[in-house]
Amino acid sequence: MSIELLSALVTGAALFGVGVYGALSQTNLVMIMMGVELMLAGALVNLVAFWRFLHPDTPAGQMFVLIVMTVMAVEMAVGFGVAIARFRARGSVEMEEASELKG
Amino acid sequence: MISAQGLFIAFFGLAAVCFGVAVFRTSSMVRSALALLFSQTAIGAMFLSMQAEFLGVLQIMMMATEMSIMAIFMVMFMMDPGGLGKMEMTHQKGLSLISGSIAFMAAVAVAVFVDWGPGGASPPDAARQTRELGIELLGRSMLIFETAGITILTAMIAATAVAIQPLKRSGDR
Repeated sequence: MSIELLSALVTGAALFGVGVYGALSQTNLVMIMMGVELMLAGALVNLVAFWRFLHPDTPAGQMFVLIVMTVMAVEMAVGFGVAIARFRARGSVEMEEASELKG
Repeated sequence: MISAQGLFIAFFGLAAVCFGVAVFRTSSMVRSALALLFSQTAIGAMFLSMQAEFLGVLQIMMMATEMSIMAIFMVMFMMDPGGLGKMEMTHQKGLSLISGSIAFMAAVAVAVFVDWGPGGASPPDAARQTRELGIELLGRSMLIFETAGITILTAMIAATAVAIQPLKRSGDR
């Protein structure tokens, strides 16, 4: 395995780890979304690294990256829609105050 | 011996991770959004270093827009957007830190111990890459591409429907 691939994969792993920490530790909906964005960014780095260092002649690898970017945009659109609805209903997007969502 | 490409990947990767950590370390929401923007831009620069020119430029353009919108939302919705009140906006920090560390170490272990096989040759030039990607998207992967398009359209409509203010009837107070 090349050192370039390893450094890209370690970066992806670090971004994923930071994203997991952010998504679990933050109480605000928008900050939680930032954590999820970082986790998806880690996946993006890995996909591009696999395409570049293992299968550079296969354009399907880049297509996967576009699909993950779509997922990021969908997450933002739905997340902000929910944030606006929640803010309008309760005046806050603090998830500590959303205990009624518990099953 | 590490190549120039490897150095650039390591440098931008380190920058992306440092800015990613800064997102959750600052108490100002605008700084937080800007740190995420810089982190995503560093990832775009990493893509450029890995000779994925189209994806790198797309990442930088898309994230610049996305994070600007996110900064506006954060200022609108946070109780203390400037971070001047030093409000505590975290919970279960220890557990989150352990989960994040486990996720990181597991991913690194997979990266190190899996045999990824022989590396590929050098990629085609930027123009040919974009052409091949276009042919892939509108050929073999057309169904997946169209599904992504429909999904994002549905999400936009759903988000607008959720966010729109409900009409008040004449009898409501």
